[in-house]
Amino acid sequence: MTTLWDTTGTAVVKALAAERRQAGSVSSGLALTLVVVVDEKNVADAEAAATRAAAQHPCRLLVVVRRRPDAPEPRLDAEVLIGGRLGPGEAVVMRMYGRLALHAESVVLPLLAPDAPVVTWWYGEPPNRIAHDPLGVFADRRITDCSLAADEIAALHRRAEDYAPGDTDLGWTRTTLWRALCASAFDSVQGPVTSARVGGAPGHVTRALLAGWLQRRLGVDVQVDDLEGTGLSVVEITAGDVTVSVTRGKGSGAQLTRTGQPDRTLPLPRRELGDLLAEELRRLDPDEVYAEALEAATGSSGLADRSAHRTHIWHDPVESDDPDPALTVT
Amino acid sequence: MSNPLRDPRDRRLPRVPDPCVLVVFGVTGDLARKKLIPAVYDLANRGLLPPGFVLLGFARRDWGDGDFESVAKEAARKGARTEFKDEVWQRLAEAIRFLPGSFDDDRAFDTLASTLTELDGTHGTQGNAAFYLSIPPSAFPIVLQQMERTGMADNSRSGGWRRVVVEKPFGHDLPSSQELNNLVDKVFTAHDVFRIDHYLGKETVQNMLALRFANELFEPIWNAHHIDSVQITMAEDVGIESRAAFYEQTGAARDVLQNHLLQLMALTAMEEPASFDAESLRIEKRKVLSAIKPPKDLAAYAVRGQYDQGWLAGQRVQAYRAEKDVAADSRTETFAAVRLEVESRRWAGVPFYLRTGKRLPRRVTEIAVLFRKAPHLPFAKTDTEELGSNQLVVRVQPDEGMTLRFGSKVPGSAMEVRDVAMDFLYGEAFTESSPEAYERLLLDVLLGDASLFPHNQEVEDSWRVIDPIEKWWAEQNDSGGEPELYRAGEWGPKGADDMLARDGRTWRRP
Repeated sequence: MTTLWDTTGTAVVKALAAERRQAGSVSSGLALTLVVVVDEKNVADAEAAATRAAAQHPCRLLVVVRRRPDAPEPRLDAEVLIGGRLGPGEAVVMRMYGRLALHAESVVLPLLAPDAPVVTWWYGEPPNRIAHDPLGVFADRRITDCSLAADEIAALHRRAEDYAPGDTDLGWTRTTLWRALCASAFDSVQGPVTSARVGGAPGHVTRALLAGWLQRRLGVDVQVDDLEGTGLSVVEITAGDVTVSVTRGKGSGAQLTRTGQPDRTLPLPRRELGDLLAEELRRLDPDEVYAEALEAATGSSGLADRSAHRTHIWHDPVESDDPDPALTVT
Repeated sequence: MSNPLRDPRDRRLPRVPDPCVLVVFGVTGDLARKKLIPAVYDLANRGLLPPGFVLLGFARRDWGDGDFESVAKEAARKGARTEFKDEVWQRLAEAIRFLPGSFDDDRAFDTLASTLTELDGTHGTQGNAAFYLSIPPSAFPIVLQQMERTGMADNSRSGGWRRVVVEKPFGHDLPSSQELNNLVDKVFTAHDVFRIDHYLGKETVQNMLALRFANELFEPIWNAHHIDSVQITMAEDVGIESRAAFYEQTGAARDVLQNHLLQLMALTAMEEPASFDAESLRIEKRKVLSAIKPPKDLAAYAVRGQYDQGWLAGQRVQAYRAEKDVAADSRTETFAAVRLEVESRRWAGVPFYLRTGKRLPRRVTEIAVLFRKAPHLPFAKTDTEELGSNQLVVRVQPDEGMTLRFGSKVPGSAMEVRDVAMDFLYGEAFTESSPEAYERLLLDVLLGDASLFPHNQEVEDSWRVIDPIEKWWAEQNDSGGEPELYRAGEWGPKGADDMLARDGRTWRRP
């Protein structure tokens, strides 16, 4: 491990190269670079999740912590690790102070693994516009998490307005196990769907996306019910006289009921953040199914036809009336 | 009507089989405990089993459902690749059944048939069942007869699908394998028969197809113009362990060469399939297998060996003939090396050297493609003395991955070229733990995807290659010949080295 105080990007690049030489194996199998944007108080959680995901997808991990954009002097502190706290791969944790926080790409760009895809993950309130953050502009895939916003549904609408192919949200990742259960429960059901219902906590982004997905796939209006508890509780689909429903039970199971068949309990674990992230890293092409679910959930259209490329829009959170949370730092 | 919730673009959703029963005959055996049950647990843990799934064990034990469940739980806890979670097991345990009975017991099979019908009602299994025959080949005829008698194997009578999974050995020569195939195919329809060759479930083996057919880089040079020879090795450091009775009858060629090595060779040598469905793959594999000819000069190109006592990994190990239940004058081969050729334009003149053995220095399976030397070297002869031939090595196990060897300049003022290796390690570029072969294959059986299972024709074609070699060795035995001894812990008998030396080549040390 190398720790550099008040350093420069060039020194970080050199330190990484030195660490790699020292580690012996100059690894060539990097699948991607994962850039994590996080604020100081959440660094430990983000590191743990990224380490877990990196164990499944070998990547270079670049953690960017923006601090005090109003600090009078810009400053960079960095920690370079290989095979240490952050798993077996290569990792650089950078803290950027002052105006440097707004020019993070100047440090990050030379650190990207050559020609490997770049994924940027904001662990915190999602950006208002991804184009405000240069770390999102050069990424091939951008992961936000609307469930961390104060108003999840408003954040989801912002994601739809700002959408470009290659965007994804962990709120959508959280629907995967539910969607898998619904799909396999529905495999042997014949005939057109007459109604569908989703129940869960009000204002919950995963509930909204799941309802959007069902609406899009089944072609019916999906009734959305407010229920107590956290997250999603129930999905129910009726086709003619057959009703299939998946209900979250206690612990990590779900009850599957279907007209005319015995009830069954199936696994529905609450997944760790690291596993959600790992699922996102599995595929790096645009997720069209997400785009459709997002359209249906927010009443927008034409998302998949937008350009996948963004151009950086200069945004100074210190001067702005509506500072972008991605750049607003602690 | 297809399920509107399934969308081919939605690749997050896993492929989950239809509701079904997995019936395991011989569920108390080694394979079931070490591989099958852990694989079932891993599938459950990864959420890849359907809502209506039942594991039904059948064996000659006086057990109830509970006894079997606790044995299975122990097996899963010990053998599972993924983390063992009680709650996952709890849910699986609800769907575990056991039926005691021997294979000649009509009543037991009647009960099995009625249980399957019953499960359709209680677990919604819709008449789907896969039968896993984890039993000695000698028991096949009686079990299959029982299935035929009770109509268990009949797709239309059950209202769902009925599939059967067969483990190797698929016979011991061409006539016996044909007999076995006829028997199985008569009871089940041919496309419902899944022959497991667990090597084909390994990621690296499937990656051979990706490597060859997804890249521009390799296929243009994948022919006799550029390839000098191919060496396929499967080495084991263990002896025969407790399999003496089986091994005495079988030997290395039948045990490994006929199935694993010929399948690896087929994947290396086959032409591009029209698509990656089971049928197209089989067509190409069959084509190349039928073009493989046994060596004409068997005395020179079919070498067999048997391990003598020696030292391996710091321990003294005994000779094959001193192993328990092995005849003191046994002529069973524990090592086999052959030179095969593929009679096609692509491969004309390229020898494929296949070898397998027990008590070799380390456990390793690899396919090494050795390229020709560059036709002209514009360097002084002394500059390239250390330059070998370019090699592409696919490591099947362990350290799944690939190595590319090529010449590179040694740093310094002199022009000196030496071999260097570029390594791709599977675990480094993709997910940390790729699924176990059995896990993958079992899932494929339940999904009805036969691409990774050898077809009966492939099995028969493979025997056509092996039979003349076995016959030659048997003739040698009759005239007093025997396998050449090699010390345990070395890379096979001298005859194997001589075989390559005759062609002006040497074995690659894996």
